[in-house]
Parts: sequence; structure tokens; C-alpha cells
Amino acid sequence: MEAAAVAHHDHHGPPEANRSSRVEPQLLGMLLFIISEIMIFGAFFTAYFFIRVVQAEEWPAAGTELPVAIAGINTAILLSSSVTLHWAESALKRDNRAGFRAGMLTTFLLGLAFLFIQVNEYVHIGFSPQDHAQGSIFYGLTGLHGAHVFIGLLLLGMVTIRAFRGHFSAQSHRGVEIPGIYWHFVDVMWIVVYSTIYIL
Amino acid sequence: MINPLRSEGEAFRFLLYVVAVVATVTVVVVLARAIL
Repeated sequence: MEAAAVAHHDHHGPPEANRSSRVEPQLLGMLLFIISEIMIFGAFFTAYFFIRVVQAEEWPAAGTELPVAIAGINTAILLSSSVTLHWAESALKRDNRAGFRAGMLTTFLLGLAFLFIQVNEYVHIGFSPQDHAQGSIFYGLTGLHGAHVFIGLLLLGMVTIRAFRGHFSAQSHRGVEIPGIYWHFVDVMWIVVYSTIYIL
Repeated sequence: MINPLRSEGEAFRFLLYVVAVVATVTVVVVLARAIL
């Protein structure tokens, strides 16, 4: 009775949430979020394949050209950001704080460069979403992905700031791991978007 | 297949796997278009 009273006295805040899964709540949340994201991208790809395969429309639209080489360099930049992120995470697990900070900062800057180049591409591409169905799909898919890069940058920015403020350690790095999974997912989606929109 | 979202390391390995598969498919399709 006395022990229960002491335990009750030590507990602060609301009661702990019920946990029905063996997967950690943070990982489960990201897993469900990414599954929903795949469905959103799937809807956009359905529209893309509809106009290319079912309607057999010319791709890209007549009189337009997609900057395959510049987007290819942008792809390399985004893939590099995943490598530096993995490096940062590995450095943190080895308690190499300088490597962790450098890796996070580099990842953030590479992501920012990707977004900047994509906006620059929009400015110079020469067509707009309302010009034709191909334009709508192009801006829809690449814009949807760009929005994901923007959200990823916000998350990476927070991790980078926290890294420079001394947060995280080799034992406690869940706050780096979850945004990291999201960022790799964003890169996976870009590989699919780039190969279908620009190359195939 | 191991859940690619289990950790950052698994997600990174999954990314490399996707890059390899998509690159292979893309090369095959581009070559097929050139030949046929």
C-alpha cells in the first residue's frame, strides 16, 4: 500500500499510452506515414501512366524539352545527400561528434541545393502546368516530390541545429534515425520519378 | 525481405537496392527501344 502510494506520487503527467505493437511507436508512425505517402505518389503515377500509356500522348509534349542532364546532376546531388546522412548517422554511433555535425550540415546543404536547382528548372523550363496534360503531370509529380524535399529539409534542419547544440549520442539517436528514414524514402521516390519522367 | 524502414541503415541499403534495380530496368528499356 505504501509502495503503491510512493509509485503514484513519483508518476507525473498523463497515464502512459496503450502499446499494442511490438514495433516502437516512432518507427510505426513513420512506417504508416510512408505507406500513405506511397499511395499519394501512386495516384500521381496513375495519372502519368494514363496519359502516356492509355491516351498514348507524346512525352514530353510537342515543342517542349526536359533538362535531362541538369536533372541528372540534381539526382546525383540528392543521392549524395543520402550517403552523407548515412555517414553522419554512422559517425554518431561511433561517438564521432565532429563527423556527425559535418555529415548533417553537408546533407542539409545538398538537399537545399537540390531544391534550389529544381526551382531554377521550373523558371527556365518554358511551359506551365496549365499548358497541357503533360505539363500538369510534370509539375504535379516533381512538385509533390519537391514538397517532400522541403519537409525533409525542415526535419534535417532541426536535427542539424540539435547536432550543433550537443544533442544525441551513440546510445540515444532515435531523433536522427526517424528523419533519416524519411529522407531515404524521399530519395527512393526521386529515383522512380526521375527515371520515369525524364528518361523513359 | 527485412523491413527497410526498421532503421536508417536498412533504409539506406534499400535506397541502394532501388537505385540498382531502377538503373537496370531503365538501361534495358532504353536499349530495347534503340534496337526495336
